[in-house]
Amino acid sequence: MRFSGFILAIDSYLVRKGTVSLLSRIPDIRIIREFSAADSFRQYATRQDIDFLVISQSIFDQSSAVFVSHPGLLERTILLKEDSVSHLEIHNSIHLWEEKEVITAKIKRLIELHSSSLSTSGSSELTQREKTIVRLVSMGLTNRQIAEELFLSTHTVTTHRKNISSKLGIKSVSGITVYAIVNNIITIEEVTSKPSE
Amino acid sequence: MISRDMLMCVAVFENMQLLPLFPRFKMELGFGEKSVEEVCKTHGVNTDFFLEIANSYLDEAYIPGEGLSLFSLGTVISYLKETHTYYVETALPMVEEKIYLLLDQSSLSDKEVNLVTVFFNDYKLEFLTHILEEEQHILPYILELEKQSALKKPDSEFAQKLQSYSIREFEQGHDRLETSLEHLSRLIIKNLPPFEDFQLCQQVLGDLSDLVKDLTDHANMEDKILIPRVAELEKQLISRIDTP
Ligand SMILES: [Fe+2]
Ligand SMILES: [Fe+2]
Repeated sequence: MRFSGFILAIDSYLVRKGTVSLLSRIPDIRIIREFSAADSFRQYATRQDIDFLVISQSIFDQSSAVFVSHPGLLERTILLKEDSVSHLEIHNSIHLWEEKEVITAKIKRLIELHSSSLSTSGSSELTQREKTIVRLVSMGLTNRQIAEELFLSTHTVTTHRKNISSKLGIKSVSGITVYAIVNNIITIEEVTSKPSE
Repeated sequence: MISRDMLMCVAVFENMQLLPLFPRFKMELGFGEKSVEEVCKTHGVNTDFFLEIANSYLDEAYIPGEGLSLFSLGTVISYLKETHTYYVETALPMVEEKIYLLLDQSSLSDKEVNLVTVFFNDYKLEFLTHILEEEQHILPYILELEKQSALKKPDSEFAQKLQSYSIREFEQGHDRLETSLEHLSRLIIKNLPPFEDFQLCQQVLGDLSDLVKDLTDHANMEDKILIPRVAELEKQLISRIDTP
């Protein structure tokens, strides 16, 4: 937890190792797995969540199914471009001849943009919205009730709850409640008398 | 810092925090005039390993990984397992008993008692689940990985598993068990009304703080020594499988 997990799917050995060496210089990045072929990457992707992906053009071309089954992954993917022809609209790409500083900046920006929406968040500070949710959880509200209170979808509340648990390293309602009390987010008086799920 | 030539009794006398380590190495007090090395030898414990564990336990700034990387994963794992046993059979029940005693004798409201009770029950469940996951899945997997790595040709079923599993997944979900205990201490010190039995309260806080320190040390061994070494082994084995 508290780091960004990267999957590399790059067929060229040299490019893959170069990417590893570059990524490992950026703090809070973990390389979860490296793949040199499309089939082993696709097989992995059927079973696992992926936070961030760096992929080579040829594996990318053979892996469209992965992006269908992982909605949102495309925005967290960096395509390594070998030529200037762009056959698919993708948000983030790196050209192989780009300077180290440019590449590093691109990767860091990507992480910043997405880490708050991923379970493996880069920061352990709660946002204001998350604190509000922690408060409502401690008062005994269900996700559905919280969603109604804050005009959010239940799905969004569930995502927030996941992020909160991952940032704090606490899963239970009672654990979150005690966290909220010692951090002045709520008083003991305001807490529901039966914190349970 | 303790060293191999030191008398064990002196080492302990000057560093009482080391006491919880002895049962984990199946060592008993009554060391007489034996040196650290002699005590280790008598109990069939690798002296370097003992020194590495003890010194990292004493020094919070100690950066693990260098000294301990000399030992087999099996050695590190059997130490971690002994520590799990200590938590589950001794440390956790001990602090639990005192907490309930403290609650019994307190003038806390029902709501406050309920808050602590539910909190501790949930925590215990989380704790046991965490340990069980490591004992039943993670540690056996690592031992198997070490065994397979030593083989000329790793077993095909294991090679298959490696295609879709990595220890990094465990790392991502690996929670720090000490966090909630720190919150409990803060709750007692800061938010709950004062307890009449101050002695008992002091004991609870002392036990909690000892356990937090021990758990931190334990999790550091898992996160900073075990996982990186396992990830490295996985990588080596995968590249061997990929390039026959
Ligand atoms: Fe453990
Ligand atoms: Fe652990």
